[in-house]
Amino acid sequence: MEQLLEWVRGPLFRFAIAVMVLGLIRLLILNGINLVSLLRQSQDKKLPAKVIVRDTLRWVFPFTRVPASQRFFTLVSVAFHLCIIVVPVFLAGHILLWEEGLGVSWPAVGQPVADYMTLFAIAAGLLLFARRVSTPLTRSLSRAQDYALPLIIVASFVSGYVAVHPAINPFSYDATMLVHAVSGDLVLVLIPFSKLSHVLLFPITHVVSELGWHLVPESGRRVALALGREGEPV
Amino acid sequence: MHREFGKERRVAIPMPTDVRPAKLEQGEEPEDETATQPAPRPVDEQPKYSFYVEPIKLEERPRRFLEAFAAILKYSNYGQVLDAYCRVGAKCSVCTASCPVYQATNDPGDIPCNRSELLLKVYRRYFTLAGNLKSRLFDYFRLTNEHINELAESVWRCTACKRCKYSCPMGIDHALVTHLARWILAELGIAPKALVVSVREQLEGKTHNTSAIPVPALKDTCEFLEEELEEVYPGAGIRFPFDVEGCEYVFFPAVSDYLLEADTLMGNAAMLYATDTSWTIGTGNFDGIDYGLFYSDRMWERIIKAQVAEIHRLGGKKMLIGECGHASRSAKEGMANFIPPAEQLPVVNIMELAYEKFRAGELSLIADAIAERTTYHDPCNIARKGWIVEQPRAILRHICQDFVEMEPKGCDNYCCGGGGGTVSIDEIREFRTMVGGKTKADQIKATGAHYVVTPCANCKKQIDEVIKDHGLPQVRTGLHDLMLKAIVLPNGQKPIVQEEEE
Repeated sequence: MEQLLEWVRGPLFRFAIAVMVLGLIRLLILNGINLVSLLRQSQDKKLPAKVIVRDTLRWVFPFTRVPASQRFFTLVSVAFHLCIIVVPVFLAGHILLWEEGLGVSWPAVGQPVADYMTLFAIAAGLLLFARRVSTPLTRSLSRAQDYALPLIIVASFVSGYVAVHPAINPFSYDATMLVHAVSGDLVLVLIPFSKLSHVLLFPITHVVSELGWHLVPESGRRVALALGREGEPV
Repeated sequence: MHREFGKERRVAIPMPTDVRPAKLEQGEEPEDETATQPAPRPVDEQPKYSFYVEPIKLEERPRRFLEAFAAILKYSNYGQVLDAYCRVGAKCSVCTASCPVYQATNDPGDIPCNRSELLLKVYRRYFTLAGNLKSRLFDYFRLTNEHINELAESVWRCTACKRCKYSCPMGIDHALVTHLARWILAELGIAPKALVVSVREQLEGKTHNTSAIPVPALKDTCEFLEEELEEVYPGAGIRFPFDVEGCEYVFFPAVSDYLLEADTLMGNAAMLYATDTSWTIGTGNFDGIDYGLFYSDRMWERIIKAQVAEIHRLGGKKMLIGECGHASRSAKEGMANFIPPAEQLPVVNIMELAYEKFRAGELSLIADAIAERTTYHDPCNIARKGWIVEQPRAILRHICQDFVEMEPKGCDNYCCGGGGGTVSIDEIREFRTMVGGKTKADQIKATGAHYVVTPCANCKKQIDEVIKDHGLPQVRTGLHDLMLKAIVLPNGQKPIVQEEEE
């Protein structure tokens, strides 16, 4: 068990980080190329930076223009995002791992803060999951990854929480730690290949949505030529 | 994921009774059908849309769809957009709270995210490496006639109001996806006949406008309007100038205004006269309507080019758009997108002009001239991005004693239900007014206003029908219709307010 745990925390973790980083670099390159070609092809090359920044920030801090019926879950979702970013990166125990692996370290959040944030992340994650399964509307929208991802994330937080609170842990430390590390590694690996890629693509999509309307002159004529419809009556 | 097409619609769309029986089987030439009239297929197999389409080639539609899709991706920018969109969709359902069509139907197929998914699915399968691999490994999605039919139905239920874009945390612009899907379908011949016929007349007909108004009839109409204006401002001699070269503004209203909106045009002419603006109407092309915005970038480009050519023929300096939302947006964006920079001209909406003149003190309006309670409906195409929101309100607050707002308003307004070209499709009127326009009807009712002002030819027709179908007491009008009761001419002459015809 101990060996397995060491393997999960060592090589598997490094592998997961490598997949995540390389996968995100790939996405960055692909989307960078896309953005450059968007700008190159279109005639209108003005980048409406102000609009893009405003629209992006509106959803980083979604307190305005959110439909009333969605406000509660929007806030839950924001808090959920905040917790699942802060806790993995700024927990004292994790910083030790970072230091071991990367040789860099940064200040940690206090253990009680991390505890509360973890509990909140679990509650919020379950709430978001419950909302997804509770109505036909959200079920009609959902794919497999929409159900799986919150559960995997919640699993990593639950196992992490009980691992550092032995008093409430019915299982052995090693077993819970194993679940924690495996689920954590899994999330990292999935980032570039699932909707979690929005960690990187979130701002890019906002740019793309603006530039998407900068159409290409003569595109219609070329399409007609390609389809053999040039000169055809309307 | 989706309900089967046409089976579980909770709100039935009235089906046109004389829809041409169409066949899905390959090898049957559609041309044959007009001659021999073969027995119609069983109803289940026919691609029946809630809107009329012209006869379409039915063989190998999936292949032709993919060819059109591929050609468009190759020569346009849409591939880059879809590439980003198909990765990040979070399926969070926030857009359900902003889509008026979904709110009225509660049909999961009307959720903006699901609508876009119909096209993204095709993109993912046929134009990405992952889709290619998956299709080799599993029994993966395959484009079928049914899928094309479902897409065709879905994108024309949407009014392209773009509200969902601003409620998407990921910033996905579902209106852009719908815009693209409509173009692909149009290359297959699947586009509302009402729009295609109009564009055909505009680009290839004798009259070069969507309502097929010949120039003599246009001149007659304007002469009549001049006579009417003479009754409002006796002796002022307000004119509709034709083909004057070197004017500052060449005027492009929605051409339907010449048939339906006499007061709007009279208000336009009076405002331009009162502010001593140099303007003209070009007899070569006097139609601001550009349905290309609704169904085909190919047509959009051709139409805007024809309009700009007319301005250059007359040596005009600016393009002045009348009270019309989509004409304003298609001109402004079309100008930036399609017209070579050296030939580009500023695009000005007539309300912008009126507001500028009013603010500068060059346009004098009688304060509180309108006693009745008045409200304002924002046309999506000019309000959503915040282009024209405050300008008409500043004027209305000045000339109306009791101006009230709808809620929500401005950039966040609800579509009238006839956006995205759907207002021209008469066969879906019931769907438009009772489903798409339901929210708007409730909003209008809640204001308790007498006048509903809307400066858009599309919204005007739609709101008229909403008011009628919902039995509301309101009177729909345009901004310049009301201004006609308040414009003071430079010589101090005030309008003689005409009695309203009910």
